[in-house]
Amino acid sequence: MIKYKLFLQQCIRSKEVWMSLLLITLLGIVAIIIGSKHLERQEQAIAEVSSYQEQHFDRQVSLHNEDLGLLLYYANFAYINNLDPLAGVSIGQADVNPTVKRITIKTFEAQKFDTDLVNPMNLQSGNLDLSFVIIYLFPLLVIVLTFNAVSEETETGTWRLVAIQAKSKLGFIISKLFIRFLLLLGVLLLLFGIAKTILGIPLNTSFFAMLALSVCYIIFWFTLSFFVINFKKTSGFNALLLLSVWLVLIILLPAGVNAYIASKYPVPEALSTAIAQRDGYHTKWDTDKLATIEKFYKHYPQFKKYGYPTDGFNWLWYYAMQQMGDDDSKSEQDALSKKIKLREQFGTQIAKFIPNIHLQLAFNQLAGTSMSQHMDYLQNTEMFHEKLRLFFYPKIFEGKHANTIDWNQFRPEHYETKTTVNFLKSLLPLVSASIFMILISIPNIRRL
Amino acid sequence: MKWTNVKLFAFNFWKNATTPKTFYLLFFIFLLLTAYSAVSGISNYATQNDIRLEHQVKARQSWEANPDKHPHRMAHFGTFAFRTNPILGAFDSGLESFTGNTVFLEAHRQNSVNFSEATFSNGTLRFGELSLALLLQLVLPLILFFIGFSSVAADKQNGTLKMLLSQGATWKEILFGKSLGLFGISMLFFTPILLATIITLFVYGNQTENDFRWLRLVFIVLGYLAFLFVIASVTIIVSTRSNNPKNALLRLLGIWLLMVVLLPKSAQAMGNYWFPTPTKLAFQSAIEKEVTKKGDSHNPDDPHYNKLRDSVLAVHNVSEVTDLPFNYSGFVMREGEKITSTLYKKHYADLINIYRNQNDVTRYSSFINPFTAIKQLSMIMSATDFSSYIDFQKQADDYRYQLAQTMNELQMEYISPKRKSGSEGKVHVVGHEHWEEFPDFAHKPMSFSSSIKQVFPALLSIALWTIVAFVLLVFTSKNAKAV
Repeated sequence: MIKYKLFLQQCIRSKEVWMSLLLITLLGIVAIIIGSKHLERQEQAIAEVSSYQEQHFDRQVSLHNEDLGLLLYYANFAYINNLDPLAGVSIGQADVNPTVKRITIKTFEAQKFDTDLVNPMNLQSGNLDLSFVIIYLFPLLVIVLTFNAVSEETETGTWRLVAIQAKSKLGFIISKLFIRFLLLLGVLLLLFGIAKTILGIPLNTSFFAMLALSVCYIIFWFTLSFFVINFKKTSGFNALLLLSVWLVLIILLPAGVNAYIASKYPVPEALSTAIAQRDGYHTKWDTDKLATIEKFYKHYPQFKKYGYPTDGFNWLWYYAMQQMGDDDSKSEQDALSKKIKLREQFGTQIAKFIPNIHLQLAFNQLAGTSMSQHMDYLQNTEMFHEKLRLFFYPKIFEGKHANTIDWNQFRPEHYETKTTVNFLKSLLPLVSASIFMILISIPNIRRL
Repeated sequence: MKWTNVKLFAFNFWKNATTPKTFYLLFFIFLLLTAYSAVSGISNYATQNDIRLEHQVKARQSWEANPDKHPHRMAHFGTFAFRTNPILGAFDSGLESFTGNTVFLEAHRQNSVNFSEATFSNGTLRFGELSLALLLQLVLPLILFFIGFSSVAADKQNGTLKMLLSQGATWKEILFGKSLGLFGISMLFFTPILLATIITLFVYGNQTENDFRWLRLVFIVLGYLAFLFVIASVTIIVSTRSNNPKNALLRLLGIWLLMVVLLPKSAQAMGNYWFPTPTKLAFQSAIEKEVTKKGDSHNPDDPHYNKLRDSVLAVHNVSEVTDLPFNYSGFVMREGEKITSTLYKKHYADLINIYRNQNDVTRYSSFINPFTAIKQLSMIMSATDFSSYIDFQKQADDYRYQLAQTMNELQMEYISPKRKSGSEGKVHVVGHEHWEEFPDFAHKPMSFSSSIKQVFPALLSIALWTIVAFVLLVFTSKNAKAV
């Protein structure tokens, strides 16, 4: 016990160590505040959309009571992707992807990818959230705390004493690193505690998974540093080497991967889909009405009873045309979602070998802010859209008046993102990376 | 200060730095990175532009393939504007990956610009994207720090410095010499990137396009030269002010971390905090409200449009709109488009102002952070910055307005005044030759003069930083201690 106390004293007597611990705690708190701002912004958006929706229907009904088809041309319905409080820790893709969508019952594909108001500069600079602090800055702190753990002993001449007096030199180094690990663990726990309180995160598996991931990530950096410092080179060399590894892992490799994905998997399918859905609907104004309606009934045989009105403009034909925007662009849509999956798969494959990318993706997954979860949300938005269509189509076709419908039932609907916690799968890449670092350190340990 | 001595120190520095084998390893790795970034930058540029041009043509073909129809149908058929990448985007991708590239243009509605690379990315994109500019802004400074951190501090430690000074060399000569030496080494790394960029400019992109690519490159090159000089001098200055190489290295790395990672991120976060972006709903309903106040063309009892109708009827001395010499419904839509567009523009300008305020924190932080200065300069001159994106949006929206109004005018002119409303059917139509007459959208490159206006603060701050570097070199040489 007394040994650890002395180690601790040795570690924290340096001013730099105190400073950096303090700095990272402060930055962590700032990051948590930024995260909570993001959550607040969504809350505000939800409040706005809820109060808007009520007045919106009132106004629409008063304007177009007798023309339900026209009313639904304008009416829009909110569908909200509720952010998990953990999204305040890892904002992920929740800044570029809208989480509050308002849709009409017209062609869904024309509305699916509409974006929110975003400043591209904010997107580029990225969010200073807690995930950033953990992924970028904790490794740096590990480096600052450990780069001279062995070399300071050799450089001040105490290593020989250690070599004689310590039972095991390896044990000495490990205890020295261990005390530093505990110090960082303390900071990490403190930050998670603060995040829990400020963001109101429930103590669920996702929260603990995030914590476990962070701890494993920090352990990985300790093992990496362990590998480097056992070469027993000078402090300067260690610092240089460790920082180069940091640069390569955290800046260069991900940047290279991104450049690769962008040029290897471009998404022309998105543009083709946009054109296809436009043509799918708009060209129907000039083609045979009967054919359009027949196609519509093929999709929805239950509406056949509304017949084949082909004289002049009518809403049945109109919404059949709108439907064709979605139906006729099916193959393009499928190609697009296939491409998106391909990109995602490649990204996850690569992430298995780069701990920091893996951690970011795992964090986003737990926080419900990943790309695949956004795609799930879009898919559910489409189902919501379908539900609205099926509700309104017969009422429009029957020429019902708007005031026969109870509009109060259309409050903004909420979608809860599904997160799956698979401890083994998410921790494995980090644990195996750490084990790998320890294994390749063995030759050096022997030479201690 | 004798120039020959300065030269001597510079050459000596160059020789010492380039002797160790590790230098060649480092250089080799950098060359590989350069090659990789150049290839991926060019391929990304070429494929993206091919894709967008191909779709621009496709969209146009289906526009022209429309039969005779009511012009208002065409106004809603609409078309797409695809943003083309500027050629220098292959050098500095700037905001490319975060800005949408497709917008659907139709009457009455200003749609969002969709499909940015970031929307289809899994979140790794925030780690950054490798480009030639990134190498120059992030990696090369670190390399210079690694090469130069011990230059003076080590001489100090082993006593060489004392000897040099006692033999008549002055601090000024030593510091300027070493700075120039390190600057020279940075040129070794800079040249391959410059060559790759020049080749790209020669080979790719539309050569006849008036995009001022060479003039832009001149600014970029001058900017980076100044930046690298600042970095080289800072390295030498920090090395001189530290009593041992280790401290010098740690300080330099601290500077790098602060200025490359922490400051830019915090600056943008602060901007975002101080000037919050409104929600899309708040933005849209503010416009909606004003439109209703001004005149709602969809409301049959709207006073604005009733008054308009009465005055039009009075001028033409008729009592029914069907007796007017033009199609009244087209006239109303023209008026409506004018009102909504003006209001939209006003609100949109406010929104852009919020964004600008957010970005200004970053922009003006370049006066305390040379890394931000060069990032801004490089992005602006490569036309991949915020204002270039806004310029595209403006072009697209102007085109949208033209399209809607041309169709409204066609309706006024060719659709019978007797047709009060509705655009369905094959009776009241306009010949399809008019669709071809309306020119296609073409994204014009950002004008050079607007780029220059944007770049001014960054340019000024780079210039100031160069002066500061000089002054600091002189100042340090006056106060430096040999031990």
